Amino acid sequence: MIRFEDVVISYGEGPEVLSGVTFHLAPGSFHFITGPSGAGKSSLLRLMYLANMPSAGQIYLFGQPVENINRKGRAELRRKIGVVFQDFRLLPHMTAAENVALPLRIAGRPEDKIKQHVAELLAWVGLADHCDDLPETLSGGQQQRIAIARAVITRPSLLLADEPTGNVDDRIALRLLYLFEELNKMGTTVVIATHSEQLMARLNHPVIRLTDKALYLETPQPKASGTAIEAEAEDVPEESAA
Amino acid sequence: MRWKAAEVPLNRDASERFLPWLMAFLIYLGALALAAAMAVHNAVGHWDSGLAGKLTVQVMPGAADENPAITAERVARVLEELRATQGVVQAHALDEEEIVDLLEPWLGGATESWNLPLPQVVAVELDRDRPPDLTALSARLGEVEPGTAIDDHQRWLGELLDLIRGLQILAIGVIALVALASIGAIVFITRTGMAIHRPVIDLLHLIGAQDSFVAWQFQLHALKQGLRGGVVALALTVLTLLSLGYLLQRADIAFLPAVSLSAWEWCVLALLPLLAASVAMITARITVLATLARMP
Repeated sequence: MIRFEDVVISYGEGPEVLSGVTFHLAPGSFHFITGPSGAGKSSLLRLMYLANMPSAGQIYLFGQPVENINRKGRAELRRKIGVVFQDFRLLPHMTAAENVALPLRIAGRPEDKIKQHVAELLAWVGLADHCDDLPETLSGGQQQRIAIARAVITRPSLLLADEPTGNVDDRIALRLLYLFEELNKMGTTVVIATHSEQLMARLNHPVIRLTDKALYLETPQPKASGTAIEAEAEDVPEESAA
Repeated sequence: MRWKAAEVPLNRDASERFLPWLMAFLIYLGALALAAAMAVHNAVGHWDSGLAGKLTVQVMPGAADENPAITAERVARVLEELRATQGVVQAHALDEEEIVDLLEPWLGGATESWNLPLPQVVAVELDRDRPPDLTALSARLGEVEPGTAIDDHQRWLGELLDLIRGLQILAIGVIALVALASIGAIVFITRTGMAIHRPVIDLLHLIGAQDSFVAWQFQLHALKQGLRGGVVALALTVLTLLSLGYLLQRADIAFLPAVSLSAWEWCVLALLPLLAASVAMITARITVLATLARMP
């Protein structure tokens, strides 16, 4: 699904944020990315959703080297990726429903289907009464749920989330995480960047830890309940040297 | 459920609000230039067809106290020579009333104050396919009645045609400048819109929008603004042309042609807003696609 080979991330003439990053995330896997602020979590995600290109190295998405993909191909690839941005990036002039519907409208789905999906998903994230509200009238947590609904409405093959539960209470956070798990069970590859050790502990998935420009994998201990998704230690190298 | 706001909210931009007025102004100028070119073309056609195959023969006035019977005899000799000439279809002498009608626009209506010796004028219609040799005809008429002059209007018409062609080139130049100014304005406004809405455009790309999807937003907006401006411009153009026609009619200036356009020429003017809106749309699309192609 995602393969990084000796990837270096730097911005302009600035220092390298990450270097020599090599890993592979298999289709259907579920990973957390964590690390201190400025460690490069968001930068890593930006490479995964093609917002940036690596300074060096090679990235393969869905089996294709991204540097060889033209603009049209990149747009088609992005339709398979759902992204929950840290700052939500909701369009302020559009209602909650219109924001959620955006990926479907871009994909050219029929309007009646779009309305149906949007209504169902907004109800699921507990915002059925806020369909016509503009983002500015909603709380941070509500906006975050709309951002998540927008990211998952196309049932993407790859879901990338940057601190997706940072603005919601524990109950909603857990509910959203279960949504991510459900999507994962249906085959969606999930990558979540988070600071929350509590969140990572609650779900038993591999953790990619970023420290000192390097990347380490922590494989989970299998839980007795068996509800956690099995670790995929072979997908990610134990350590990627800086 | 409220639905279908435009993805890129271009209609909220201050710069976008004046686009219809700018378009209206430019299309109005273009429409006036086009109307002028067409009206002038019509006038030339009118004069040309009116004068083709016709000439005027002037029999110079005699002494102030010349007997009218002698004058009539001189004119009759000229008429006789003309009618005997092969290629002359018809020749008739204008009576005094007709001559006064011709001169009145230039000399005023108070004929008693003219106190001028007026020439006798013979209107001649020629066979357009086989016109006579005018040099030979002039020489023969000079022998029949010394001082007789032929005017086939070609010198006057030639100079007028040069003037008209100059005006037409000027009108085409104005239309070209207006088109360039419109395209420039649309390029500038589109680029400004793209800069203002860069975060929205980036987001649309990140969730899978093709460049054509983004371009569609801008081109549709440009089309609507162009049409709005075009309708205003068309209304102003019609009003201006009708007013001008009315004023010229009231002024009753004989040597100025009536400002008249044929039905299809009015249709051309009516199509101008559509054409301008289409150009605006295509310009916006090309601008957006070219700008996006330079983005990472």
